[in-house]
Amino acid sequence: MAITARTRLVNPRLGTYFGIFTAAFAALFVLALMFEQLGASDGLLRLLMFGGPIVLYAAIGLSSSATEARDFFACGRRVPAFFNGLVLGITALGGAGFLALTGSLFMIGFDAVCLSIAFYAGLVFMGVLFAPFMRKHGAYTLPTFLGRRFESRTVRIVAAAVLSVPILLLLAAEARFAAYAAAWLLGQSERLMAPLVVACAAGIVIAGGMRSLTWSSVAQAIAALLALAVPATIIALMVSNLPLPQMTHGNVLRIVTRAEIVNGVPIVLAPPLAFDFPGAGVEPLIKRFVQSFGSVGSLSFVLMSFVAAAGIAASPTLLSRSGTTPGVYEARKSLGWAVLVSGVVLLTLPAIAVYLRAMLLEQVVGQAGDRLPMWFQLLQQAGIASVEAKAQTVRLSAIGFERDAALFALSIAAGFPQVIVYLALAGALAAAMAALAASLMAIASILSEDVVHGLSGETASEAARVGTARLALLGAAFVTIGLAIALPADPLQLFLWSLTLSAATSFPVLLLAIWVKRVNAWGALATMFTGLVVTIFMMLLGEAGAVDTSSALAGAVGLPLALAAGLVASRMTPAPGRSALDTVREMRVPGGETLYDRELRLLRLKNRTQT
Amino acid sequence: MMERNERKPYWRHTKMQMLASLLPFVLAMIVLPLYAEALNEKRILGIPLGYFLACHGLAVIGFVTIAVFVNRQDAIDHWHGAHEDF
Repeated sequence: MAITARTRLVNPRLGTYFGIFTAAFAALFVLALMFEQLGASDGLLRLLMFGGPIVLYAAIGLSSSATEARDFFACGRRVPAFFNGLVLGITALGGAGFLALTGSLFMIGFDAVCLSIAFYAGLVFMGVLFAPFMRKHGAYTLPTFLGRRFESRTVRIVAAAVLSVPILLLLAAEARFAAYAAAWLLGQSERLMAPLVVACAAGIVIAGGMRSLTWSSVAQAIAALLALAVPATIIALMVSNLPLPQMTHGNVLRIVTRAEIVNGVPIVLAPPLAFDFPGAGVEPLIKRFVQSFGSVGSLSFVLMSFVAAAGIAASPTLLSRSGTTPGVYEARKSLGWAVLVSGVVLLTLPAIAVYLRAMLLEQVVGQAGDRLPMWFQLLQQAGIASVEAKAQTVRLSAIGFERDAALFALSIAAGFPQVIVYLALAGALAAAMAALAASLMAIASILSEDVVHGLSGETASEAARVGTARLALLGAAFVTIGLAIALPADPLQLFLWSLTLSAATSFPVLLLAIWVKRVNAWGALATMFTGLVVTIFMMLLGEAGAVDTSSALAGAVGLPLALAAGLVASRMTPAPGRSALDTVREMRVPGGETLYDRELRLLRLKNRTQT
Repeated sequence: MMERNERKPYWRHTKMQMLASLLPFVLAMIVLPLYAEALNEKRILGIPLGYFLACHGLAVIGFVTIAVFVNRQDAIDHWHGAHEDF
């Protein structure tokens, strides 16, 4: 292989390091399994499956410390496409994808597929519309990019304020999902676990910023994929002799469909704008799995796919990763890997949902209320499942189930050793922590780069910038703990609100900044302001019941209005200056030096000659 | 390094590629779920066809879309001399 500058940037031992991590994680799991068979206490097993992986992530995070700004905010721009894609795919899914989406698929079947579609569509949109241009520009945060593109400090500060809203909602949602998984893993309360998981996520990334975040998230992504694959593959082997749950759950689905017909599960057709996703508590199972538009109406299904996809594509948390690759080509390629990784996960989740539903229909539905299988009684005692007290013979509609528990309830229902249940929880915790740490890093970078140092024109020393970001990270961690404990809303609802706000604020302004040269600073301000105000107004109307649309779909109104406002405001005000147009022209061409790096280099040179 | 007079054709080519990549995918995102119920009569690998196309089909279309985009856009970059100099 020819050694080029591009290959020299990448550490050739990355595969070896993560091979060692995978072996260590697998060894930890096998060790816990052996301990369980030898009669070790349940507390020890829980501690091993919670603490073991976190010690490994922390070791990776703390050993990747960084003192230079380029390392701290962009991982030295040397993350290979595969590793960047792996992290992007798992961070996009996070705890919401692993816990809430699995549960939603289990409870409302096909209707929850709108979120699956949104995840990989969002990554496709990001790869085609934004990521290559963000990489060529090279800014560490979205507000920095917008401030430089529109040559306006006001745009930068307004963008920092506006884009912080979806990040804070995402932080609260992922902290709640991580706390939920940790609470089940350690047998403690969620309120107690929330500060612990946020402290762990912040502690892992504080030493090296984006560098620590990248390499610890690769480890978390591997752990999450293994934890998802083990129970699903074992069940696929049991039912079809093939270790491919994604392709072989068809026969089980046929059994599920037949059982639903026999048990008289009604066909319900929701109005086009209905959007009834299951909530966080125990809720009844009322819909057939394969039937479409029973809980989510046809129009809401399509709108949700697009709004959530736009939210993911322009997510400030995910887009800040595009600057970490060695070049524009790698930035594009990393999105290809991200779509592949998220696609594999998103095809495994329906298989898990189908297997659990089949077990419920075969072993619980139609049984006498006092002769339920042991695993279901265990779920009832744990508060995960319930049956209507007066039911003599159990019907599907009489069963209630906790949405977020479906992922690990499958291992309980299949009678697997307790350690496999803890493995599923450890995987969900890893995914939620990856998303949580990425959001913490995004908001800390914005606070440091755009709010504190952005006002003084980038002349601060590297040590000051990194130090401020570390302090901002600690502050963001405290705020997240407060939000996770104080916000009473369902974490999936918080996640959807974050996506809808990101779709209405970040997506239109980025689209205009990159693809429409004529848009100026006034247009950018009008876009963000309109998107934020209209979406929050629609969300409030939706929550108050004044309109038929769900608050999660508010972005469908905010996004087009924000685009229109940006275009109109730009037309009514003077065209952008020559240097702003030059920035746009250069950003659109992959070749040449990264714009932000060149700007900082020239600034340093100027400061040196002045002194 | 790209010639100055290549900028406009390069950007026109890039815009066309963006539309060619996204439009079929967006169309599939709308059409496949809406017609899922009607297609569920037939089965593939035991899975109802409409459900299979909305889950597996769209995931495959998404991956093919981004893979083809990466390949074609790189070819456009090289054609116009806009590629990175490594």
